[in-house]
Amino acid sequence: MSLLRLQNLTVRFGGVTAVKDVTFEVLEGEILSLIGPNGAGKTTIFNLLTGFARPSEGDILYRGSSLVGRATHEISDLGIIRTFQKTMVFPTISVMAGTLVGLHSSVRAGGWDILWNSRRKRREEAALLARAREILAFTGIADKGDVLARNLSYGEQRLLEIAVGMAANPQVFLLDEPVSGMNAEETARVRRLIRAIRDRGVTIFLVEHNMNVVMDISDRIVVLDHGEKIAEGRPETIQRSPEVIRAYLGEGYERARARRRA
Amino acid sequence: MGRAIALAAVAALLLAVPILFRDPYVLHIAIYAGINVMLVSGLNLLVGYMGLLSLGHGAFWGLGAYGSALLAVKLGISFWVGLPAGALLAALMSFLLGNLILRVRGHRFVIITIAFQEITRLVHYNWVELTNGQNGLSGVPSPVVAIPGLLEINFFAKENFYYLVLAFAALTVYVCYRLVGSHVGRALVAIRENESLAESVGVNTFRYSMIAFGTGAFFAGLAGSLYAHYSRYVSPDVFDFIHIVEMLIMILMGGRGTIAGPVVGAIIFTALPESLRFVGLSPAAQWFTLGLILVVGILYVPEGIVPRVARLLARRRGARPAAATENPA
Repeated sequence: MSLLRLQNLTVRFGGVTAVKDVTFEVLEGEILSLIGPNGAGKTTIFNLLTGFARPSEGDILYRGSSLVGRATHEISDLGIIRTFQKTMVFPTISVMAGTLVGLHSSVRAGGWDILWNSRRKRREEAALLARAREILAFTGIADKGDVLARNLSYGEQRLLEIAVGMAANPQVFLLDEPVSGMNAEETARVRRLIRAIRDRGVTIFLVEHNMNVVMDISDRIVVLDHGEKIAEGRPETIQRSPEVIRAYLGEGYERARARRRA
Repeated sequence: MGRAIALAAVAALLLAVPILFRDPYVLHIAIYAGINVMLVSGLNLLVGYMGLLSLGHGAFWGLGAYGSALLAVKLGISFWVGLPAGALLAALMSFLLGNLILRVRGHRFVIITIAFQEITRLVHYNWVELTNGQNGLSGVPSPVVAIPGLLEINFFAKENFYYLVLAFAALTVYVCYRLVGSHVGRALVAIRENESLAESVGVNTFRYSMIAFGTGAFFAGLAGSLYAHYSRYVSPDVFDFIHIVEMLIMILMGGRGTIAGPVVGAIIFTALPESLRFVGLSPAAQWFTLGLILVVGILYVPEGIVPRVARLLARRRGARPAAATENPA
C-alpha cells in the first residue's frame, strides 16, 4: 500500500532546477533507498517531505492528504520523522535529556498539570523516562544516558540521532546517510538497527552512499541523477541498469568499455 | 531531603529579613532585589534556556509600571486591579510583538527588540497629556489592604512592601521552576541546542518561543507595577538601556539557564553597587570597581556563580556534576 506519494515534484532554486518532475511512492512497511551521485537532489527530496523546502510544482501525499505547505512540526506529528546528513544532536544536554525531547509530541500534560506538578504529570514524566530508557537500549546506547551528546563518539552521536527520531514515534523514518563516515563494525550495527526498526512496523526511506548497505537491506531503490528519476526497482535490477552505471561512472566509462571491447 | 531542608532554611532567612535588618535602607535594597528577581527570572527563560537575546525586556516592565500607575493616578483604580492589568498589558504587547518578530533569530531579533524598547520609551516621553512626559507621574498610591473593622495593612511601610515583593518574586520563581521542569523547559532548551532538530521531532518552535517571551513579559509587567507603587513615581527613565544591561549582568553572572542563577545574580548585583557606595567609594570609583568585578567574573567564572558553586560542591562530595539540563550553552 502506498504510504507516501511524491507526484511530479519539481523544485527550482533561482535558475537551478534541483528536482525535476519526480514521481514515486513509498510503500508501507518497506525499506526504500534513494541513491544517486552527489547533488542529485536526494537531500532536497527529504527537505520537501519534511517541510524544510517547498516544491515549485507537484504534490506530496501522505495517506492521501497533501503535506505541501505544512510546518515541519506538523509533519512530524503525522509520523514523518527525519535525520540529517550532517550530524545533528542537542550538544550540551545529556543523551537522556535529548531523547526526552524526541518524546515531546506524546506529552499530554497541560498548563495546570505543570503549574501544580499534578500526579498525572508526574506519572507521565515517569512513563516518558521509561520509554526513553527503552529506546536508548534498543539503539544500543543505554549506558550513555548521562553523557552530554557532544562528548559521544561520532558513531554514538549518529545512533543518538536515530534514538531521538525513534522517540518521536515515526510511521515513516527518513534516514539521511546514517552510515556515512562509519567503520565496518559501526556500519554493521546500524544496518541491523535499521532492520530492527522496520521490524517494529516503521517504514524506512533511506538516502545512502554505501552501496553494500543499500543493496543488502533495500526492498526497492529509486535512482536520481541531476534531479531526475532515472531508475526504480529491486536492487538486482538497479545494479544491472545501464542508466545507473552511466550516472555513477560517467559516459567516459561506457566509452572506455566500448573501446576495450573493440 | 537535604534539598527540602536547604529550601526551608532559605525561606526562613528571607522571611526574617525585616526582623534581622531594621535599617530601612537595607529593606529598600531588598525590595529592589526582589523586583529584579522577577525581571530576570522571566527574561532567563528566553536568554538562558532558549538562547535568544532580547534587549527589549525593559519595555515590558515599563508598560507594567505605566499601565498600573496610570490606572491609579488618572482613574483612581486600586493597585490590586492595576497590578494584573499592568502585567496583562505587558503580556498582550509581547504577544503582538512576538507574532511579528519571533520568527526571526540572531542579530535581527536583537535589533528589533532594541527598537521596540526605544519606541515604547519615545511614546511615554512624548505623549505628555497622558504620561506627563519627562516629568513623570507622581502620586502613585501605595497598595493598601483594608477589610473594615478587621484589618488594615498599608504597604507604605517598607517591611510590609518587602513581604509583598517577596510573595510575588517567589511566585515568579515557582512558575519558572515548574515550566523548566516540564516538557516546556525541554522544548526551550531544544530550541537553544538545535532548532531544526527540535522542529523535526515535533516541537512547535514558534509556540514555545512565544511561551517564553510572553511569560517573561507578564512577570516583567508585574514587577513594573510593584515598582511604580513602591517608588510612587514613574518616569520614562524606566525604559533606559542601562536597566537591560543590568538584567543581563545578573543573568550571566548568576548563571544563565538555571533557576537559582538569576535569583542569586539579582540579589548580588542589586546589593553590590549599593555596598560600594556604603564603604565610601566615590561614584566614579564605584563604577570602576563594578566594571572590574564584571571583567574578572566573566573571565574566570564564565558559566556563572551558581553553576560554579554547584560543581565545586559536587566535586567535594565526589558526585557527578549537576543535572545536565541545568548546564548553560
